[in-house]
Amino acid sequence: MTAACLLLPAVAFAQPKKPKGGGKPPPPPVAPAAPAGGAQEIELDEPPANPPAGTPGATPGGTDVPGSTGAPTGGICEIDPSACPKQEDIKAAAGKKLNAEIYAVPQIYALRYHRIELSPYWSFSLNDQFVSHPGPGLAANYYISNVLAIGVNGTYYGGLNVDSDFNFQNRRAARIGVPINEYLLTGNLNFTYVPVYGKFAGFGEFIFQYDAYLTGGLGALFSRPIPVIDPDNRAFKYKPFLDFNVGVGLRIFITRWLAVNLEVRDYIYNEHLENLTVAPTQQQQQDEGTWYGEHRITNDIQAQLGVSIFLPFSWEYRLPK
Amino acid sequence: MRRLATSVLVGVAVALGGVFTAAPAQAQEIQLTGPLAGAPAVRKLRQYREGRFEVAPSLSFSLLDEYRRTILTGARLQYNIKDWISVGVWGAYGVINTTTDLTDQIDQTAPRNSRTATNVGKSFPDQTAKMQWVAAPQLQFAPFRGKLAIFQKVFLDTDLYLHAGLAFIGLQERGDCGDGKCSDPASFALASRTAIAPTFGLGLNFYTGDLVSIGVEYRALPFSWNRAGFDQQGGGNNGKFPDRKIDSNDRTFKFNQMISLSVGFSFPKPQVSN
Repeated sequence: MTAACLLLPAVAFAQPKKPKGGGKPPPPPVAPAAPAGGAQEIELDEPPANPPAGTPGATPGGTDVPGSTGAPTGGICEIDPSACPKQEDIKAAAGKKLNAEIYAVPQIYALRYHRIELSPYWSFSLNDQFVSHPGPGLAANYYISNVLAIGVNGTYYGGLNVDSDFNFQNRRAARIGVPINEYLLTGNLNFTYVPVYGKFAGFGEFIFQYDAYLTGGLGALFSRPIPVIDPDNRAFKYKPFLDFNVGVGLRIFITRWLAVNLEVRDYIYNEHLENLTVAPTQQQQQDEGTWYGEHRITNDIQAQLGVSIFLPFSWEYRLPK
Repeated sequence: MRRLATSVLVGVAVALGGVFTAAPAQAQEIQLTGPLAGAPAVRKLRQYREGRFEVAPSLSFSLLDEYRRTILTGARLQYNIKDWISVGVWGAYGVINTTTDLTDQIDQTAPRNSRTATNVGKSFPDQTAKMQWVAAPQLQFAPFRGKLAIFQKVFLDTDLYLHAGLAFIGLQERGDCGDGKCSDPASFALASRTAIAPTFGLGLNFYTGDLVSIGVEYRALPFSWNRAGFDQQGGGNNGKFPDRKIDSNDRTFKFNQMISLSVGFSFPKPQVSN
């Protein structure tokens, strides 16, 4: 009977849907008989035979250990004695150490930890209406942890600075000369911190990952004035200036090792402007010492659009998925 | 310099070469098998937009201004037809107009003589143009929907949207004046005008709950206006020289930009997709 009770619920799931009105359910099908030979035939309608002596799980008194009801149970120990749990197995299982920690967060799509990021980019100046400073650049970062990196970047502006039409219009209309400067290059040592990451579903069809980061560092910016006040006598040379930079960036991953990034960075440095006054004599006018005027803290805000290539291209996760 | 430039170009070429030659191997990573094959990218999505009205008070800041900065307060009223498309209007009024350093420098240093008589009045800041109000009926498209983690502690639902529409911009700009009359101090007074321009941009919404969201939005408003009140064009053979008159020829194109912060209130409660 115990065997019948064990089997019945399993068979009930395979029954067709009951007819409405609460009709008597059809009789449960009888379990098929096992072939003679390798396995013993089980007859559910007859009382089970006594277990053989020495069968695991059987007591000398003829009762099963699990139920200990005093009557034969017809459980797994009778159907398949080899699968019958042993007392010593249960003890061992109960004493087994379990790792109760559950990792509910899926694996991060693009790990940064101990990877190198190479990022060629194109830089545009955002806040200088008088002279635009576009140029190519390259950044390289090494991720000490998954959220912190140390790296360098450099941008080259030589020959690409553009004196704007707006500058000319102001000079002509108001008869004033605004001192302007052009850049040669910058090079910086940076730290990058990645506090924000997430993912977007595009049109409900595909998913892409992104992260947002903060960056900052220091380096050098090579700059010189474009002679506006006395272009006949003044020929400036590039000089390096200490700069500090802070910025924010957004990186969208296309694959696990390739991303598109957009960064806005403010390079802050102490610019040396052209002297607004012209020396009275020709000799003084040609003296470089009279060419420079005031220093001014300058914010060179640049938007940098580029791609990020992470090396190595692949890695192994510490934990399984 | 040429060697450095060549090195940079070679480096970029090598990097791009690596990108394109290695791409096919990665395509295998996203092939799904088993029960997820063919399944939609997202299930049980909280539809913060579909069928909901939104009222979003906003504060906008003009960017990269040459002569005058503007801070506008306003609101966006919007009905979200679907989760990905909305129709609405954004309106704002300029409450703060401040001069830039360039305006102050011109005011302090520009000579007032016969050469500048038509261009620089007694008070230069008073002749620079102002953006007074903006009204923009617009459509909004939200193709990207997702979530983000901040410091691995705060998790927010978010969406990225694009918007486009037609903007009506109320300006105060130096009024027109004819030949020989533009040196008159009265000619530097500002006159009202309404400009019509396309407007477009993109934004991010961060949903802090079913009712409230926080938004950051970039908006472009490209159109021509005479921001300094200068006589710049209209004369000469090609019309690019001063003609001693102030009129529409003196308006120059500007890619006006602004950034807005908003707090959105949406109702009724959002639905959940299958």
